[in-house]
Amino acid sequence: MNVSKLLVAGVAFSMSAGAFAAGAHGGGHGASSGEPGKASEVARTITVEMYDNYYEPEEITVKPGETVRFVVENKGSLVHEFNIGTPAMHESHQKEMMMMVEHGVIQGGKLNHDMMNMDMGNGHSMKHDDPNSVLLEPGQSKEVVWKFSDKGNIEFACNVPGHYQSGMYGDVNFE
Amino acid sequence: MQGLVKAFQPSSNEVQLGIKQMKIRLLTGLLTLLMPAMVMAGEYGLTVDRVKIDTGDFVKEGIGYNGASPGPVMRFKEGENVRINVTNNLDEMTSIHWHGLILPFDQDGVPGISFPGIKPGETFTYEFPIQQAGTYWFHSHSGFQEPDGAYGAIVIEPEGREPFRYDREYVVQLTDKHPHSGDRIMRNLKMMSDYYNREQQTVGEFFSDVSKNGLMNTVSDRMAWGSMRMMKADVEDIHGFTGLINGKGPSQNWTGIFEPGERIRLRFINSSAMTYFDIRIPGLDMTVVQADGNNVQPVSVDEFRIGVAETYDVIVRPKDEQAYTIFAESMGRSGYARATLAPEEGMEAAVPQLREAARLTMADMGGMPGMDHGSMAGMDHGNMDMGSSEGVSGMDHSNMGSMDHSNMKGMDHSNMKGMDHSDMSGMDHGSMAMGKGGPSDPFYAKGSGLVPTAANGGKFLSYSDLKAQDPLYEDREPTREIELRLTGNMERYTWSINGVKYEDADPIRLKYGERVRFKFVNETMMTHPMHLHGMWSILDVGAGQWNPIKHTVSVNPGTTVYMETEVDEPGQWAFHCHLSYHAAAGMFRKVIVEGGPESTQAKTGVVAEDGGEA
Repeated sequence: MNVSKLLVAGVAFSMSAGAFAAGAHGGGHGASSGEPGKASEVARTITVEMYDNYYEPEEITVKPGETVRFVVENKGSLVHEFNIGTPAMHESHQKEMMMMVEHGVIQGGKLNHDMMNMDMGNGHSMKHDDPNSVLLEPGQSKEVVWKFSDKGNIEFACNVPGHYQSGMYGDVNFE
Repeated sequence: MQGLVKAFQPSSNEVQLGIKQMKIRLLTGLLTLLMPAMVMAGEYGLTVDRVKIDTGDFVKEGIGYNGASPGPVMRFKEGENVRINVTNNLDEMTSIHWHGLILPFDQDGVPGISFPGIKPGETFTYEFPIQQAGTYWFHSHSGFQEPDGAYGAIVIEPEGREPFRYDREYVVQLTDKHPHSGDRIMRNLKMMSDYYNREQQTVGEFFSDVSKNGLMNTVSDRMAWGSMRMMKADVEDIHGFTGLINGKGPSQNWTGIFEPGERIRLRFINSSAMTYFDIRIPGLDMTVVQADGNNVQPVSVDEFRIGVAETYDVIVRPKDEQAYTIFAESMGRSGYARATLAPEEGMEAAVPQLREAARLTMADMGGMPGMDHGSMAGMDHGNMDMGSSEGVSGMDHSNMGSMDHSNMKGMDHSNMKGMDHSDMSGMDHGSMAMGKGGPSDPFYAKGSGLVPTAANGGKFLSYSDLKAQDPLYEDREPTREIELRLTGNMERYTWSINGVKYEDADPIRLKYGERVRFKFVNETMMTHPMHLHGMWSILDVGAGQWNPIKHTVSVNPGTTVYMETEVDEPGQWAFHCHLSYHAAAGMFRKVIVEGGPESTQAKTGVVAEDGGEA
């Protein structure tokens, strides 16, 4: 048995589980982080800069139900993520990100796009294209349009291994 | 203004400063106020004193600073100029070396290399700019004063923000306190190198090996070890110590307080004379954020090994209202240090049992020259404790039978049809988790018996996990390579570099501006923490520009380790194994940096004439 096949299949499984979890959290119950926002409903834009390894700003305040356009810029020299979720969602996502590092998808300051786009069967890949997050190389900038739901314990966080644990997260406060 | 603030608000760890020193600091504060143009300068005082050290197991005379061992935590700020008045209250010479600090060579505190030393009754004033941040330490570089208690911690706050966050911090400074004085230990080792080794194989063990492995195999194994003038159990030379954390023995249980949910930065410093520690906090992940004072890309681990003189900063986040044990087992399992993190004083958690001692294998002797392999003919290699699935042949898949597939439950293999593997060239198989196929680590010999594993089966930090957070130097080709074979004879307790001990050796001459690649070849059975003073050691972990910078590089038995140094500090420096009794036995060199700013060259001559002992 080829070991690498097993491991790749393991990643495919784990990534699909992650996508499912994110979908399930879009439902709007108490612990949810919100849902993808519509550009037409954007009330305001917040720029979030990512450094090695922290955000500026480290907290934001939103209204329940508000749709925010985040302009996320990676000003560091390592790959960073901006991901909106509950601490539990971040924790489970960290396992997927660990896999991405172990398989060479995230290499310090670079992303291996070929690996990310690789068809892992059944339409799964390591693209990291969930709507609640972006994964950026140094110098890159992308937008996330997000509609926050009710009040909850929401953080924006970088789940690249070690980054969240060393403090790369920010609090979402509700007015 | 900064000076005044400093004078009125000494940090909690400086409260031991003498009244006289406080007056001086006040005065300095006023002066600073009067002269606003002055660069920010901090005035500090240390007295070197005879002290009593109580480990809980025994009480003995020792040496300390400001009346205690360990000394105070010196807190500096990046960008300040410090003046440190050191008063020698001993009846012998002393010195203080600021371990890991980048400073002018004549402030480095090595008698005979940087300066003549500090005479009894004399006050010597160190003065240097603080050009870095992080966790470091200081200790005497005279005789065996450091093993006798003359050490303390240095914490330097960065000018900008830290690239990580925490709510509180503690220094966790380890040592291996022995009931014998350093002088006595050295005398005994010279007389009988296994004087302090309790782990020696016994006659009984010989016969149990005979019944297990057969007479011929056992005899030839013993003969092989005997011919190398070593004993198989020599992971550590010195047993019989009590592990201390911040001066407290296991029964005295140093305790750091936290509120559940807080992030705590623990600044681990290994100030031991001879002992490596394997550190874990059962129930907590530790995220390593600094090694030897320099930020590294954070890596979460369950356990890590700290070499003598190294420092590691970790962030932990205890979420529950309970106590956690900081458990530090010595690498050879002959002793341990223990402390506690708890929501309130007096709470404690279970203290684990010491695990079984690691045994060196023949693989750990890989670098031994002159080994008579002929006499090993009768050896059955099948009985050798190879310990690793990687064995000799690299990736031998036939050995992977014991891979742990348990995490893959529920995998739906039906979707794997048509998977295109042709694109997988970028996959890094080197970092694949090998499950339980046997521990391996590129910084240990293949088949080594020393490779550490985490007590909970989780992640154990390797040097290869250390990547610089923000590389200090441009990556460039080294200008030349210098090979340093780490050599010794355990039975005569002689330790040397390239077979030559310090007294008989020429200095290593480097040229200002060059980048030197040092090749350490460890031909001994001991692990050596090599410490170059004054300039950074860029440890080659194969990460190119992300290679971490350290001040102490541990070289395991039977391995070759490379580090590079940008020769950017003029003057002359010490370069040695940081195991106290190995350095004293001769595993030590003087490094002379030729060239550089002219003003510094004149000074080296003065020091050389003054002499003194290193």
